[in-house]
Amino acid sequence: MLLLQYHNILIQSILQERFAPDTQPANIDQVISDFDNVTYHVSTPESKTKILISLSIRCFKDLEKYGATALLKREYGEYVVQPENGYDFSIVVDLENLPSSQEEKELLIQKIALLKRNAMAAPFEKAFGQFDELAAEAAKNSLDLSVPEDSGAEVMAVHYREEESFFIRASHDRVTVIFSILFREDTDRVFGKVFLQEFVDARRRSIQNAPQVLYSSKEPPLEIRNIAGVKEDVGYVTFVLFPRHISRDRREGCISHIQIFRDYFHYHIKCSKAYMHSRMRFRVAEFLKVLNRAKPEAVEEKKTASGRRFGAR
Amino acid sequence: MSQSLRPYLDCVRSSLTAAICLENFSSQVVERHNRPEVEAMSSPEVILNPLHISRNENEKVLIESSINSIRISIKIKQADEIEHLLVHKFTRFLTGRAEAFMILRRKPVKDYDISFLITNFHTEQMLKHKLVDFIIEFMEEVDKEISEMKLFLNARARFVAEAFLTNV
Amino acid sequence: MSHLTTPAVVMGIGTGLTKLGFAGNDSPSFIFPTAIATRTTGAASGRPPPAAKPAFLSGPGGNSSSSGGNLASKRGTEDLDFYIGHEAIDVSNTPGYGLNYPIRHGQIENWDLMERFWENSIFKYLRCEPEDHYFLLTEPPLNPPENREMTAEIMFETFNCAGLYIAVQAVLALAASWTSSKVQDRSLTGTVIDSGDGVTHVIPVAEGYVIASAIKNIPIAGRDITYFVQSLLRDRNEKDSSLRTAEKIKEEYCYVCPDIVKEFNRFDREPERFQKYLVDQGLGRKVSVDVGYERFLAPEIFFNPEIASSDFLTPLPEVVDTVIQATPIDVRRGLYKNIVLSGGSTMFRDFGRRLQRDIKHLVDTRIHRSEELSGARSGGLDVQVISHKKQRNAVWFGGSLLAQTAEFKGYCHTKKDYDEYGPGIVRQFSLFNVP
Repeated sequence: MLLLQYHNILIQSILQERFAPDTQPANIDQVISDFDNVTYHVSTPESKTKILISLSIRCFKDLEKYGATALLKREYGEYVVQPENGYDFSIVVDLENLPSSQEEKELLIQKIALLKRNAMAAPFEKAFGQFDELAAEAAKNSLDLSVPEDSGAEVMAVHYREEESFFIRASHDRVTVIFSILFREDTDRVFGKVFLQEFVDARRRSIQNAPQVLYSSKEPPLEIRNIAGVKEDVGYVTFVLFPRHISRDRREGCISHIQIFRDYFHYHIKCSKAYMHSRMRFRVAEFLKVLNRAKPEAVEEKKTASGRRFGAR
Repeated sequence: MSQSLRPYLDCVRSSLTAAICLENFSSQVVERHNRPEVEAMSSPEVILNPLHISRNENEKVLIESSINSIRISIKIKQADEIEHLLVHKFTRFLTGRAEAFMILRRKPVKDYDISFLITNFHTEQMLKHKLVDFIIEFMEEVDKEISEMKLFLNARARFVAEAFLTNV
Repeated sequence: MSHLTTPAVVMGIGTGLTKLGFAGNDSPSFIFPTAIATRTTGAASGRPPPAAKPAFLSGPGGNSSSSGGNLASKRGTEDLDFYIGHEAIDVSNTPGYGLNYPIRHGQIENWDLMERFWENSIFKYLRCEPEDHYFLLTEPPLNPPENREMTAEIMFETFNCAGLYIAVQAVLALAASWTSSKVQDRSLTGTVIDSGDGVTHVIPVAEGYVIASAIKNIPIAGRDITYFVQSLLRDRNEKDSSLRTAEKIKEEYCYVCPDIVKEFNRFDREPERFQKYLVDQGLGRKVSVDVGYERFLAPEIFFNPEIASSDFLTPLPEVVDTVIQATPIDVRRGLYKNIVLSGGSTMFRDFGRRLQRDIKHLVDTRIHRSEELSGARSGGLDVQVISHKKQRNAVWFGGSLLAQTAEFKGYCHTKKDYDEYGPGIVRQFSLFNVP
């Protein structure tokens, strides 16, 4: 597996099973987790046919500020209900009231499995909206599009993990997404540096269309330097998304993809470590082989044909 | 193999061959004990002068010998932070399995990355020249392994970064 | 710390099936075969599946010097190209992939594959950042401590998991039985009968510690019952006698009877006991299969092994009795009183009741004889077999139960502990104090 999936596979499989035409309704009560401290609760509190899916997300307060509620309303419209106690957002799906066609069902399942992604998409969508406005304005004022200009757009900060956040800012010719990156472990830090350097170099080397990536290990980038809570000793990765990345038809994919960056990045650090382990295991076995060569082979005792042994008794 | 590595390894090989010359020797300090004198350091008269062989300041070997035991410590080349980390990981992985490597010391001597302790009991069970072969092969392979791992890491990082960025 | 609020991950990885899920749930979220399908490197060398290791490992004859050039030429991403679980089984039919089972006889055999199996389990299926979660893993009885260390090395060094607890399966099965209404004191003393697909274990546990010397294995388990049902179907020339049909019949129709002879008679008197099973053979073809005496004969092989097997002839109740008799005398009373069932093959109706009766009978006979011989009166001995609703995934459920308690995190070894003390730390885990 190279790329991580955007949707939650467990929610998907539970719903697929439940939505299948000939299954008996059953009680469900499952807590499910997802990346970035997201917890889901899938249950059937009222009756077996009404599945309640609740989402708890650490940064919901931040997301709400940037229009998550409206976005989720747009996506899940009729299914939205009052949030379950202890959770931030809930929807109810009634098995007796499902869309009739198989495709529509699949679509609904897919949509629900993307709950986390959609909740986190709010600041991105807002930024892209701002970008559209600013770009239109800039075109009207016939500004030189190539000159980066300090727009008045606010920097949106989402503290999606305990110690890590991401920031988004729109301007008339680009949208900047900044992740703060903190490693809890030395090995990860060193591996991470190698990886991030390659992210930075990738555009220069081979993929000209890629977004520009910047990495600074100490200083926070200028865009967010004035924001409260920005620390000095954390790494910052900046993605500069140019208009071609956020054209209308690519927007959705881009949001999903950028969101998963941290998890993707950490996943691959771990995969590399696993690979190193298997290399080292192999090497250890090889060394042992060499060392065991030093042991003289036990000389097999010679026996006569009748089985008697030579030698002194 | 680079030009300067061959003489370095040859030198280690001949020094080791000469140094592994061990005999059974009971402790003079504690009755009915038999301990590696190079570790115990309790009777100075059975300890020989330690020997340094260095290729450069980053790669060197320390051979400490005594009447019944010899300690070989190796400093593995580490040019940058990544290599340093990889060496550290690798040696820790090895020492974690010291049980299987009879002659591996669980803790390296100060300033070195990995140490071996060969006692007369080892030389009685194992062939001396093969033991030397092992140490030499170890030194050769470790360098190769570390640089390969580093190459892998870079290649993987590049691959991963490109895979991510092409999909944006 | 926010990650303390995330549910702990419970992983029960067995020879046949892997059960993954989050603490607090009453059933595992994922149950799939412990299988991993890896890319087999080029057919040129013609080497069999062991070449499923990373490319450098498959150098001819493992010659180390030839492995040097391998890496530079490739981008070295073969180690990401693999599938686990059901997907592994599916993909193993396509050329280029080979199927591997990293666990043999309950113990991890291939650590490289296992590490990748975990990698995919965590990131693809459970979707959790291991740094934010505590992990509870299960291990078979008699797992060597070195294996624990290797596990810890992987869990902490590769995945940086926040905390780790490794629990013995039998102990978790005991904990799972606390949900039964028959259990009053939540003790960790009891005999666990764990019957899965391949083998049945009888494991005595005293105060949370497995009495290793007394463990016995029985080579009769789920698979044998399925084969037995299948052979009965074949004998009768049923229209469908596939393994799947046999398995379905086993799961849906079989039960344990008190007495075979009487049961045969009852079947003859009451013809409605013979049932029909409708097999859907796909493509709209449906075949009806008669289900007869195998309904009670199949599980009977636990109690009368001679009807199915010729090399193992000791009935299960007798094995349980022998096991308990082999333990120290002061724990035997507790072991008889708390015989706990675990695993899918103990799910037959009335299995527990029959087992209890048979063991009770063995014990009573012995007490009776000793009374006769010594002339003294005995106080008798309680035999109790506990069945409960969570039997099928008892081990996993016990893990989930323990891992959701507030104290659980205190019993785990954390990443910090590991960094300070090294892998040896996982040789010891403090037992759960019974709440």
